[in-house]
Amino acid sequence: MKKISKHEFKSNTMPAIVTVGPVALLLLLLVLAPLIFVTVMSFCQTDEFYNVVYRFTSVNYSKLFSPDYIKIYGQSLLIAFITTLICVLIGYPFSYVIARTKSKKRQLFYMLVIIPFWTNSLIRIYGWRTFLGSSGWLNKLLMSMGVAVEPIELLYKTGTTVLGMVYCFIPFMVLPLYTAIEKLDASLLEASSDLGARPVKTLFEVILPLTSSGIFSGCIMVFIPCLGYFFVSNILGGGNTDMIGNLIERQFKSANNWPLGAALSIILIVVTLILVKIYQKLGGDMDSLGV
Amino acid sequence: MKKRILAALVSLSLAALSMTGCGSSNGGGASTDQGELNIFVWTEYLPDSVVEKFEKETGIKVNVSTYSSNEDMLAKVKSETAGAYDLLVPSDYMVAQLIAQDMLKELDFEQLPNFSHIGESYKNPSYDPGNVYSIPYMGGAGAIVVNTDKVDMDITSYADLFDPSLEGQLVVLDDFRAVIGMTSKALGYDLNETDPDKLTEVSDKLMELKKNVVLYDSDSPKSALISGDCAAGMIWSAEVAMAMEEVPSIEVIYPTEGAYLFFDNWVVTKESPNYDNALKWMNFIMEPENMELVLAEFPYLCANTDAVANMGEEYSGNPAKNPPSDAIAKGSYVENLDSATLDIYNEMWTKLKE
Repeated sequence: MKKISKHEFKSNTMPAIVTVGPVALLLLLLVLAPLIFVTVMSFCQTDEFYNVVYRFTSVNYSKLFSPDYIKIYGQSLLIAFITTLICVLIGYPFSYVIARTKSKKRQLFYMLVIIPFWTNSLIRIYGWRTFLGSSGWLNKLLMSMGVAVEPIELLYKTGTTVLGMVYCFIPFMVLPLYTAIEKLDASLLEASSDLGARPVKTLFEVILPLTSSGIFSGCIMVFIPCLGYFFVSNILGGGNTDMIGNLIERQFKSANNWPLGAALSIILIVVTLILVKIYQKLGGDMDSLGV
Repeated sequence: MKKRILAALVSLSLAALSMTGCGSSNGGGASTDQGELNIFVWTEYLPDSVVEKFEKETGIKVNVSTYSSNEDMLAKVKSETAGAYDLLVPSDYMVAQLIAQDMLKELDFEQLPNFSHIGESYKNPSYDPGNVYSIPYMGGAGAIVVNTDKVDMDITSYADLFDPSLEGQLVVLDDFRAVIGMTSKALGYDLNETDPDKLTEVSDKLMELKKNVVLYDSDSPKSALISGDCAAGMIWSAEVAMAMEEVPSIEVIYPTEGAYLFFDNWVVTKESPNYDNALKWMNFIMEPENMELVLAEFPYLCANTDAVANMGEEYSGNPAKNPPSDAIAKGSYVENLDSATLDIYNEMWTKLKE
């Protein structure tokens, strides 16, 4: 038998550097270096003009536990939690329907979720402000229908913030759910009903467990960015229900206290890591988060 | 098939994006031979038409970026590379702070003959004695605005804005020095109060305000009044004027305690790479004809008395556009605070907004 000649490298170092090198360099520069910078800054002091001075202090971290800040963390977690819950409740049936439709409409439904996503979310959120305002279209409609006599105050409430968040993040929920539900084998559903399970039982014992990976990754992809979003609560919430994102933004802007902002960012990163760890522990797949 | 639809949609959206993208750059018209000028200015403070006029006259390409508070501006300037902006428009106390941090360049008045159009009372301000670094632009007050159709109460002072009957109806500036200063004033204290005991009282008083305020907005606070979402508040005086033009029942009131005042000034940054162009701009904006164009769109109190003289009764007779001199005399300006006091202010602000 003729021997098939195969090229072999003398060492494995060169190929590894050439293939992995560029990506590793990019990650080092764009992820690790900023992260180190933020960590270092969180231990720095400020001078009288709030310029950063590279002298060690842990005072920024002790400030993180002030009752005001803890209230804001709690508020952020609550808003993010409610947003995620609503996203699941709306996103799941929607994804189920589009994933199980055989017709060409599937493409259309899918696009309905994706297309708004191409417009900057800031602009869309301003759109909501105009739409929901006292002289906005919704109030005009309600009044012309006789449902309301006076314009209903819909803006600048915590509920409005949640609405904006749900609107911004629903695609992040729908896409992983869609992927998970599409993979669901229809014969399993048939088998379930052949064996006498009622639809409700099939839903809870077959469909939901089999698509739980999609629910998990959807929740993570909504909950985590939700914590850091600040402009929705500024624009739709009127700026009177701060989230942790607003707190961080303010340290880098009006309060000009970058070290404190850095310490707050570290907290946010730690919370995120804990959540991702829990997700992994529960059997979540890192690939479906797109990482 | 799937791919073709997708490709079509992507290209459509890209086309749409590229069309909308042109608006801000207003490129093409002016030749770039004369170099550039990077202006960093408050939102709603400099009309595009005036910028285009300057580009046409000089051939200098102007890039305008905007901010909505002095502190935001300072943070942005510090985080950018040196010389990213040539011109800034800081308020009074911020001019002093920028000078103290050695961030500004002295002005060459040989190149600024139009400085003669500036009123004598606006020259030589306390925050920049002798106008070494700055020329005055526009100013005004944090005035009280009321929609009389929606509010029955007779409002005459900042203290009235804390009345429980105004719950959930106010819009105020998203500016901690303005809002905290107003609250100190309502208690009869100084706009720049530093006494810790008094500040504790101010902090408690702010909690009363918290119930009344639904919106913090410095960019365009008039919008919420025009749309009817807010009935009263404390906003830039010229914003009241603009709201009055849309809704006749809106009125301006200068508080009996004396108003929070501000005056904004053009300054050149220390590292400005386009110093000569920056001075050309300063001279251009002090030309009464050009200043009138600005005032027609953003009717603030103006330091250019020659321009004001040409504006006529419609401007100078309107108290929201041209605040009466007794309101100015009674008012006070924000001053720089020591960092311990600023920390207290920031804590109060967090409490208010949480």
